[in-house]
Amino acid sequence: MTVMTGPPAIDLALVHAAQRGDPIAVADLMDALAPYVGRVCGPIALQDGPDAAQEALIAILKNLRGLREPAAIYGWVRTIAVREAVRVARTAARAIPAELADVPAPGDPQLAADVRDVLARLTPEHRAVLVLRDLEGLDERAAGAVLNVPAATVRSRLFRARRSFRKAWLR
Amino acid sequence: MTQNWPVADLDPVRRMRVLAAATPGVAYAEKIIPAQFQTVWEAASDLEHELPRMITDLRSFEITSTRGERLTARARGRLGQHARFDVVLRPGWCVMQSRFIIGGMAATPEGQATRFAFLGGLRLPGIRLLDPLLRPAAQPLALRPISRLEHRLQAR
Repeated sequence: MTVMTGPPAIDLALVHAAQRGDPIAVADLMDALAPYVGRVCGPIALQDGPDAAQEALIAILKNLRGLREPAAIYGWVRTIAVREAVRVARTAARAIPAELADVPAPGDPQLAADVRDVLARLTPEHRAVLVLRDLEGLDERAAGAVLNVPAATVRSRLFRARRSFRKAWLR
Repeated sequence: MTQNWPVADLDPVRRMRVLAAATPGVAYAEKIIPAQFQTVWEAASDLEHELPRMITDLRSFEITSTRGERLTARARGRLGQHARFDVVLRPGWCVMQSRFIIGGMAATPEGQATRFAFLGGLRLPGIRLLDPLLRPAAQPLALRPISRLEHRLQAR
C-alpha cells in the first residue's frame, strides 16, 4: 500500500519496518525522504542546507516510533525539516534582517538566477514562510502551525518577504 | 519560480552519520584517507576480499546472490560462527545487516582525498538503553577498520 501526500510516494510497509528498527529499512526510508528534506531545508538554511538536512533526518529517524499516522509522514517530516532548518540557520548566525533586503519579485524570469541572493537577504523565519507558502502551498494557518506562530504573523512575514523581493527588483 | 530554489544535498557520509545517530548501540567513526575516491571505493566495495581484512574477527564474507544493488552474503567468524547478511551496495554506500549485527561504510570525495565512514554494532533487545554508555566507548573500535583499509591502500 502506498500513499501520495507529497512527492514521491512512500511505501507504508517501509515506514512500518523502519519504525520496528530494521536498519536497512531505516536507510531506505532515509533515501526516500532525503530529496524532500533537501528541498525544504535548502532555501531556508542556504549554505548550511546540508547540515540542516542532516540534522532534520536525524530528528526524523530518531523519533520515527512517535509517528502515529504513517500515511501523514510528509506533513510530519515537513514540520521537523522546517524547524531544524530555521534552528540551524539561526545558529549559524548568518541571517540579515528582512528590512535590509533588496531584490526581485515572483514570476520574473530574471528571478531564477537571483533566488539564492534574494533568499540570503531574508531571515530564516521569513525564508521558512516563503517555503511553506510558495513551495509547499500551505495556507497561512497551516504554515503558522508548522512554525508555532499565529496566522497573522505568517501574513506579516510573507508581506515583508515579498516586499523585499519587489523592492530590490525595482531598483 | 520555486524550481530554481536551492536544494540541500546529502552525500553518502552525511547519510551514514544520520544512520549512525538514529541507530542505537553502534560504533561510528570517520577519517580522511589520502587517496582518491575511486581507489578507496574500489577496494572497500570488494566485500569478499576487503571486509575480512578490515574486520579481523571475520574469516570470510561470501556473496551468495546479487540483484542490482541488493546482495545477500554468508559471513563466517574466526570462532566458526556464521550469519546471513542482507547488503545494499552502491558507489560510496554500503549497509549490511544480519539478525544480530549491523554494518556500514560510506565514502565521499574531499578534494584529492576521501572522507570514509565506518559503522558497526549489535542489534540486541534493550540496546537503546545502553546506547549512551556504549557509543563513546565504541568509537575507537570503528576507527580500526578504516585504519586497516588506509594502511593497505598505502602499501600498494
